[in-house]
Amino acid sequence: MWFPQLYDNYNSTYENLISGEIPAIIIPDVFSKSDCKNLCNKILANQNVTSGPGISNKIGTSISSHIYEKSKYFSNARQSNQLIQNIFSSVESPLVIMRKIITDIFQKQISTAIENSMCYSDAVIRIHNDGDSVHLHRDNSNFEMSEYLVSHFENQLSAILYLQSPSNGGELTIFEKKWNKQDEKMRQPKFGYSSDIITNVSQTRIPPVSGNMVILNPKFYHQIESIHGPKQRISIGFFFGELSQNYLCSWA
Amino acid sequence: MTDIIWGTATKIISTNSFEMNVSHQKDTNNDSYQDIEEIQFTEIDIPSIPADEASRNISEIEQNLKDKFVKCEILGRNSENRLVCAVSHSGAGGY
Repeated sequence: MWFPQLYDNYNSTYENLISGEIPAIIIPDVFSKSDCKNLCNKILANQNVTSGPGISNKIGTSISSHIYEKSKYFSNARQSNQLIQNIFSSVESPLVIMRKIITDIFQKQISTAIENSMCYSDAVIRIHNDGDSVHLHRDNSNFEMSEYLVSHFENQLSAILYLQSPSNGGELTIFEKKWNKQDEKMRQPKFGYSSDIITNVSQTRIPPVSGNMVILNPKFYHQIESIHGPKQRISIGFFFGELSQNYLCSWA
Repeated sequence: MTDIIWGTATKIISTNSFEMNVSHQKDTNNDSYQDIEEIQFTEIDIPSIPADEASRNISEIEQNLKDKFVKCEILGRNSENRLVCAVSHSGAGGY
């Protein structure tokens, strides 16, 4: 059976995720419910909501929105990082907490990636409303973002912190199938892949519980199930990869 | 309206042409296209491939185009039966 591992047995290794031996590591209660609520009130009051590939409401920029527009990305990243810092001004930054947990689990230091003295985007806050879902996809900067330095980082993973659970739905489904080049023929023009690619493939579902953090290998196909009800699904996330054996760099 | 097809570049033929597995065709295309087409690109909107053909080499194009999912806006067919297209990156496989 292919189940996510709870981070309470301290046996999680980077290799377990890279190899796909486990679909994800769940770290419960890294951010208190009251801090999540305060933060979500600020996020929902923020006017700087934009759209991007696969998502209609997000705060912060990501390289997937600027695959071939590097200078625009770095310019937007500077503003995006400031904006997210402002949102986090009244609470302990969830990004600091997430990085500390990553360091604790994997025994590797982590900081936001820099290229030619320009800082990558720290993170993206994603807001999913009633009826939203995210179609089947994988995230792979090694293949798709070759213009960027981060495309050279090996063993890339993704970290997500759920800040608000939706009323219903919004589970993260991870399929036991890793992307390979031949899968490109199953791409869909705007975003993601044909669902035919995961027919009869094992899967695991992770509910978006506020305060919980999830680390997954984003090269394994995944999707977000439909959100139902008036409460939005709100999460913050970034990618990270190995700059060296003991040092990780992150980006969004 | 220009016909549009999407697919993956499977083989680089020259500094301005490649073979493509056509996986998607725009619903309102005027013509239909084979599952495998040869594409001659007159324009390419992928910054790592120089716009000037004289500055390109095959290995550079292979590195940046082979196996990639691209969008081809069709301008016509040439005497070698290749589709003459403006080629660009298409969408994202993830976020």
